[in-house]
Amino acid sequence: MLSIVFHKRRRLVRRLFFNHEQIRTMSRVKRRTTHPPYWHVLKNVQRGDEKISSDNLRFVREVIQDKYKNKSPIKGSDLDIEKTEWDPKTKRSGVIARNIGVQHMWEKDGKKVICTVLHVLDNHVIRYVPPEEYAKSIIGAKVFRNRKPLGCLVVGAEAANPDRFTKQYCSLFNEVGLLPKKRLARFIVTPNAALPPCTPLTAGHFVIGQAVDVYGKTIDYGFQGVVKRWGFKGGPASHGATKFHRRGGTIGTGRDKARVWPGQKMPGHMGSEKRFCRGLKIVRINMKYNVIYVKGTVPGPTNSIVQIFDTLLPRRKFTEAPPHPTYFPPEDGTLPQEDIWDSNLHVFGSPSISV
Amino acid sequence: MLRRAVLQTFRQGLAQSFFKRYAVSLTETTVTHQPIETSNEAGERSVPTQKTGDESRNTVVVAPPEFRFMYPEFLPDPAMETRNRLREKLERMDMLQRRSVIEIPEFYTGSIMAVTVADANSPNKFARFVGICIQRGGSGLRAWFILRNVVDKQGVEILYEMYCPLIQKIEVLRLERRLDESLLYLRDALPEYSTFPLDMEPERRLNNSVVPINPLKVKLRPRPWLERWERQNLQGVEDLNLPQRFYDKAEKVAKPWEKYDLMLHYRKTIPAEEQEKIFAEVHSQLQQQELKRKLRRRRGPDNEQ
Repeated sequence: MLSIVFHKRRRLVRRLFFNHEQIRTMSRVKRRTTHPPYWHVLKNVQRGDEKISSDNLRFVREVIQDKYKNKSPIKGSDLDIEKTEWDPKTKRSGVIARNIGVQHMWEKDGKKVICTVLHVLDNHVIRYVPPEEYAKSIIGAKVFRNRKPLGCLVVGAEAANPDRFTKQYCSLFNEVGLLPKKRLARFIVTPNAALPPCTPLTAGHFVIGQAVDVYGKTIDYGFQGVVKRWGFKGGPASHGATKFHRRGGTIGTGRDKARVWPGQKMPGHMGSEKRFCRGLKIVRINMKYNVIYVKGTVPGPTNSIVQIFDTLLPRRKFTEAPPHPTYFPPEDGTLPQEDIWDSNLHVFGSPSISV
Repeated sequence: MLRRAVLQTFRQGLAQSFFKRYAVSLTETTVTHQPIETSNEAGERSVPTQKTGDESRNTVVVAPPEFRFMYPEFLPDPAMETRNRLREKLERMDMLQRRSVIEIPEFYTGSIMAVTVADANSPNKFARFVGICIQRGGSGLRAWFILRNVVDKQGVEILYEMYCPLIQKIEVLRLERRLDESLLYLRDALPEYSTFPLDMEPERRLNNSVVPINPLKVKLRPRPWLERWERQNLQGVEDLNLPQRFYDKAEKVAKPWEKYDLMLHYRKTIPAEEQEKIFAEVHSQLQQQELKRKLRRRRGPDNEQ
């Protein structure tokens, strides 16, 4: 008797007596929910018809300005960054960015390269959760069940008018005294890469030539048929095929199991899932506009938000120390170099390539 | 007020300049004899500071309206899903950087051009191709054009990307326009219309400010053709002499309401306000580059290495 065990994370491939070569486990994984997670704090205000007079509106704006005016990002807190050492096992913070499109560039041998342009938004560290505390939370307990626990950095991006958010949501930012951010993200970091709240994260956090992982929500294709969704071949376009051009065909044998197996590939909703693109190389950094050019494409449509962090792929990790724990611009405000290019890339202002 | 006034002049200037520049060479032009501003002469038209409320003490730079036709690749792709102002701005900066190294001259569909490309497989490492531009497209760094020629009785078309760093030189041997925006019908035309000598010399223009329109009507080979040319309202093609059923079918399939569809045309173009902003941004740098090149040309090839 064969016992078939379903695991969420591993695909089991077994030689079976009948036609099914593999058990379709991954397409059973529940991919999307419409309800928010348990820790979610209600974010946006349900604005009714407020009927607030213009004088009062002006007063409210003044109050907001006064509250946040003198709160510049402070580096000092009980979590001061001393000279923490970088070692190959360090996990640094990541960054929230917007995918602003695709630009074509050329390498020094004339080969064309498609690069995705990622605009690093105004990131600030909101909070650092130490490993012991994070391991006690529900998600932390799951992630670190069999591993040594690591800390968690909460990073926010895209400051917005506090009017738009609920008081609960704004309270998340009260301790640090920052304008509430539209986007929040968590990054798992080792304790030596912890950052104090209010630290700004910029494009300089990354190094030219390093590999990054980009995590985002894929393009929403809606309800799609089996040809586009799973890559089925469909049927012949002509030669007498009646009403069988883009259909799935058979969905099971009649003999064994005598039912449709769970996870059978069928039409359905495609896209709008959180996915990783691993090991993308950074080819250019523009420090003035806080923009990173990454070789390849990332999940999600143009103008969508993604998270970028150092790659987990073992062969493409750092061999030398990167800006640890993050990049701090020089005190006098001058940029060392505005536009940094990879050595393999052809700089547009340089003479034409001659092979 | 300022913006409306500037816009009006921009749009009027657009229409006027269109007719001024693209005068038909053989027929008389009915254009009013105003001082024609070329890209070289049109400096920064500064508006008096009294009117500028927002930009205090700053002159408002308005690029000449001809820029829309001379540098169409600076305008982004109108599809709203992929537009982003910051990326377009960065792309324009890169384009200007590339243009500072190589001269990408003004050209139109129907101009005869010569392109020199670095090629590892060529005997002297450079490959030069002469041809007529039959189509151009793309926006930003992806801008491309197709050159066509007939070499040894074989029609050859090459697509060049304008900002590719392998391109060493782009010369316009004859600057002119044709009656159509796309000359793909040359593929079905008699080969003499696509044949140009590979050692053609650049022709000097008599009138620098006007780009002549060549009213040539091309004779097509007998059918079969690659496309249904009778359905495409081609101006630059001689009478096709097809049986009436082709024209009847073309009428059935035609969409005559499209020319009244304002939203369709709006979605396919960048609004005038934005165009104005974009060209104002790149205008001064393009002018500087043009001046530098002129100086270099005047000094002559002796001073150059």
